[in-house]
Amino acid sequence: MRKDLLTGVLVLILSLLFGLVSGALRGSSAAEKPIVIGGSLPLTGTFAATGRWVERGYQFWAEEVNGKGGLLGRPVKLIIYDDKSDAKEAVSLGEKVITVDKVDLLLGGYPGTACTAVMPVAEKYRMLYVSMGGHMKSFSQGYTYSFGSPPLMGEWWYLGFFEWMKTIPPDKRPKKAAVYTMNNPIGIALVESLYKGCKDLGIEIVIDEKYNLPLTTADTMITKAKQMKADLLFANGMFPDGVMTLRACKALDYSPKAIVQGIGSVIPEWTKELGKDGDAIFSGTSWHYKLKYPGNDKIIKVAKERFKEDEPPLYFGFGYAWMQTLQQSVEGAKTLEQTRIRDWLRSNEVKTIAGNFKFDEKGLPKPFVYLTQVIHGNVELIWPPEMRTHEPVYPKPPWK
Amino acid sequence: MFNPIVILQSIVSGILMGGIFALLGVGFSLSWGVMKVINIAHAAFGILAAYIAYWGLTLYGIDPILSLGLSLPLLFLTGLMIHRFLIQPITRAREIVVASMILTFGLAVVLENIMLFAWSADERLITTPYSSQSIFLGEIIVKISSLLGFVLSIFGIGAIYLFLYHTHTGKAVRATWQEPEGAALQGIDLERVSMIAFGLAIASAGAGGVAMAYMYSFNPPAHNFWLIFLFLVVIVGGVGSIFGSAIAGLLIGLITGVSGAFFPFQWINVLLFGLLMGILLVKPEGLFKR
Repeated sequence: MRKDLLTGVLVLILSLLFGLVSGALRGSSAAEKPIVIGGSLPLTGTFAATGRWVERGYQFWAEEVNGKGGLLGRPVKLIIYDDKSDAKEAVSLGEKVITVDKVDLLLGGYPGTACTAVMPVAEKYRMLYVSMGGHMKSFSQGYTYSFGSPPLMGEWWYLGFFEWMKTIPPDKRPKKAAVYTMNNPIGIALVESLYKGCKDLGIEIVIDEKYNLPLTTADTMITKAKQMKADLLFANGMFPDGVMTLRACKALDYSPKAIVQGIGSVIPEWTKELGKDGDAIFSGTSWHYKLKYPGNDKIIKVAKERFKEDEPPLYFGFGYAWMQTLQQSVEGAKTLEQTRIRDWLRSNEVKTIAGNFKFDEKGLPKPFVYLTQVIHGNVELIWPPEMRTHEPVYPKPPWK
Repeated sequence: MFNPIVILQSIVSGILMGGIFALLGVGFSLSWGVMKVINIAHAAFGILAAYIAYWGLTLYGIDPILSLGLSLPLLFLTGLMIHRFLIQPITRAREIVVASMILTFGLAVVLENIMLFAWSADERLITTPYSSQSIFLGEIIVKISSLLGFVLSIFGIGAIYLFLYHTHTGKAVRATWQEPEGAALQGIDLERVSMIAFGLAIASAGAGGVAMAYMYSFNPPAHNFWLIFLFLVVIVGGVGSIFGSAIAGLLIGLITGVSGAFFPFQWINVLLFGLLMGILLVKPEGLFKR
């Protein structure tokens, strides 16, 4: 009897000890097990230069979060594969991080073609996907796990420009617009807000043409615009064709009241390579380091100190803002359960360096695009007025 | 819109642009004609020369045309080395055209990545005080940068022509191209002659690259875009024909420039490549190949 009692007590003590030890082990393992966030970016190939800035934005966010005790009390670990600027590769790697690496959260990709391709993968596996998206088309497919925070929406691109133009007295507004658009999904997306804006303000579109990339010459385009006396030029292209168009404007002495560049004039190369000729050009953006939202000062500091960039590159900020959204969603939902995170994001506001966003059923915030203008070699914010960093230059001064 | 100013301006711009395409393409045609080497890396060497011009201008204020004083000899020597160590070993291949394409494709990839590593993928632009200046002829405007590129093209193509037709080595190059075995029987050192021709072709790519950089922004992968014009020039002008390359370049420039005055811009490439297909069907050896 005594022997049985002793055996029982021994078993009890051992069980308690084992329970305590294994519990402690479980506890320490949970505390140290990182939250794994994975996906792919174009780290080589055509989009590598931009992709690497997104990566730096992600890494900086991870560093910052880990320095403050992690996410939900756990450190974060990023797995970033190189999709070689290939959207098909981005899809394969998207599947890989979900099924093989079994990540806890997905990273947004770049560019829009890759995001568009990965969004259905995220939907299939019910994983939250925060990225720039691939314009309105990608957000109109009924996906419920994809969010643009901030998105890069061609369809909204000139909202800021026309909102500001409404503040110009009608007799001083342009009367005729020439529109040249690169013939690809990005270019096509840009014209939607342009058509509406011109119609609302009674600006006649006298030339509306598309061109294929790469553009071989802009001389004929600008000669046409000049002959048609268009006093507003929309150059819906990217950096290489934008530069050609602008140089043709100067060489052919064509000075409309305003020149609006699609994409390319907010990157540092624009002012660096064009100098004063790049001045007074309008464009849009979904993020700018001069925006008066908390966190941008930190981005400026890091870009300057760590990367020797006087102006933080656009996609460094984008990458950081997407991760801010992911972080706030997880912290808000207090779980890694994807559907609960998504539901939290659907019904709450997130505060990012690009703005404070609430999302609709498409995963998009209220339509917005900031109007920028290059003034004295700096990209300044013109619209909305509360974000204005410089008075706009209008009408554009003649070429010198 | 049939506006005479638009049409005249398009003709002027097209001719100037075409001259530059011709300069870029003439060396490509030469190496294809003489050595049966389709040098996919040709335009990448043009980009390299554009970078030399860019850095010369940005760091030391050297005019891009003057930078050719450095880049042309450098590229000529590079061409000799490449021929000696890469091209010569594959001349024994049965399908030298295919072998050369594969080899030089690899060379283009290597060169592109070296340039990416050295100078990143940032777009560069050659901006001189005259970059956006023009000469006004009534309502017609001649861009000084395009005019300079065109003049460079005349000198470049002229120099190659003089070399081929008025020097002993040049005549040996032509003999090698026309009848390699006969040239060898006459005591012409085929390897030496081919090496010089290849060096010359690479140097001409450099001159073409600088002329192109006056018109277009560039980064290391831009050579893929420039390569399109090389094939157009050679196929339209005929493989190995200097005169053909010059005329083909002008023709391509004119079509590109002028078609925009009559048709929507998005049709330009359709017209250009339609022309290419038509020439391939009617005169597959090119318009000027005898």
